[in-house]
Amino acid sequence: MKSHFLFPHWFRYLGLALFLIHIPIVIFKKEMGFSMHGETESDSLFNSHHIFFMTTTLLMAIGLFFIAFAKERIEDEQIFKLRLDSLQWAIYVNYILLVVSLILSKDTEHILFLNLLVPLVFFIVRFRWKIFQNNRLINKEEGQV
Amino acid sequence: MKNNIRVERAIKNITQAELAELIGVSRQTINTIESNRYVPSTVLALKIARVFGKPVEDVFSLDEED
Repeated sequence: MKSHFLFPHWFRYLGLALFLIHIPIVIFKKEMGFSMHGETESDSLFNSHHIFFMTTTLLMAIGLFFIAFAKERIEDEQIFKLRLDSLQWAIYVNYILLVVSLILSKDTEHILFLNLLVPLVFFIVRFRWKIFQNNRLINKEEGQV
Repeated sequence: MKNNIRVERAIKNITQAELAELIGVSRQTINTIESNRYVPSTVLALKIARVFGKPVEDVFSLDEED
């Protein structure tokens, strides 16, 4: 079956690597760098804080994006349907969270960040969970035979 | 939609994995179809019927809910 707009299978591991790389960088910065926060901040768009935020967020977002939209080993119509279902769920959850957080909070920077993260993370978790369930059912059947 | 892929497989003596390979899908897909958790597309239904050498209606039939 033809699958449109999906990355090759190995992009999943590339995405995972990118995502994992971004975690220690952020932790390191949090441990080290927040004393500098404020004093180096200038009005220019390209101050160090902004550049750091941009690169780590991009690393994370691109990583998650690759994980989410890499092809499965066998990409067939059932996987396609799972993917579509999971996307629908992800959009629902994202918009519910978005609306709730818009009502309850004024912290737009974090809302934006959440909005960047939630659809991809929820999609990946839900999609993987469904695949895991299918595999578990197969193993169960094999146990019975 | 009901199906009797399991029976047809037993007659032809092939496993889910072998059937999956013959029509180019994953084993999970065959499993979900057999256990009525996934309704295959017309193309896939035709391919499955072709493997068993029977018309689609012999393998798949409508349920009361459909």
